[in-house]
Amino acid sequence: MRIRCPYCGERDNGEFTYLGDAGGARPDGMGTDAAAMHDYVYLRDNRAGVHRELWYHGAGCRSWLVVTRDTRTHEISDVTSAREAGLARRNSGTTSGEAA
Amino acid sequence: MSEIATTSSWRPRSAWAGFAKPGRQGRAGAEPGVILDLREGIGLATIILADGQDEALARALSERFGFAPPAPGAAAFASGRGLVWAGPGQWLAVAPSRADLAGFGEALAGLAAVTDQSDSRAVVRVSGPQARTALSKGVGVDLHPRAFRAGSAAGTGISHIVAQIWQLDDAPTYELAVPRSFAGSFWGWLTESAAEYGCEVRGLPR
Repeated sequence: MRIRCPYCGERDNGEFTYLGDAGGARPDGMGTDAAAMHDYVYLRDNRAGVHRELWYHGAGCRSWLVVTRDTRTHEISDVTSAREAGLARRNSGTTSGEAA
Repeated sequence: MSEIATTSSWRPRSAWAGFAKPGRQGRAGAEPGVILDLREGIGLATIILADGQDEALARALSERFGFAPPAPGAAAFASGRGLVWAGPGQWLAVAPSRADLAGFGEALAGLAAVTDQSDSRAVVRVSGPQARTALSKGVGVDLHPRAFRAGSAAGTGISHIVAQIWQLDDAPTYELAVPRSFAGSFWGWLTESAAEYGCEVRGLPR
């Protein structure tokens, strides 16, 4: 599997480290209850299909990336910078749920 | 522990000390296929852009180096001093010696975080007619001129070691930087890869 880093171009997946689901947004820890924090920290969907997930390009540009990958085929349909995705989410005013 | 032993164990030493030996290695013959110049005493510093200071940092670096900070995947050099793109908003400054980077952090105050890395990396210059062939055995990016040429730079993995590589000219001449603590492992890979072409190891004058 290769991942097309938006900064470095197409690279072997050995240069990257997988973190997990890129969907969840961290609740405001002071404003929410224990159950919501528990969900955020521990509960994950194990999707068969298109999945947005975080990868770290540790052997390259050391950027966090949001990779949209089909877990059934490993086909990657989109890769963006996690920083850009996070800023876009902040600017759109969305505070929870999945980034657009 | 005796005082003498303590003193000697803290003496500065090259990142390649104990691994690299000057002279000919591998296949014997008239001309070495690969030449390895150890970049002893090199000056290195990481530059990390401060939020919102893109234009001011580009101006400051242009004034100091004579060229704009290179774009992703690029490196720029003039008179032995250069900038190597290292990530979004990040560059590695390279100079013949640490003294060349004196006052660099102060000059970029408020524009970027500047950290001296001169002792943190082992750096080697790779040239010779078989330089590309030897490096291609393990470098994780395509080094063919259609994909990588003078002024190209990449962070990638080499034999499971994180490395930065940049190309200085079309000869081709490359420079590679690896974390200092990986110098021994990296040297093993590099000299094994170059051995079949004949390999000449040199120390580079400062």
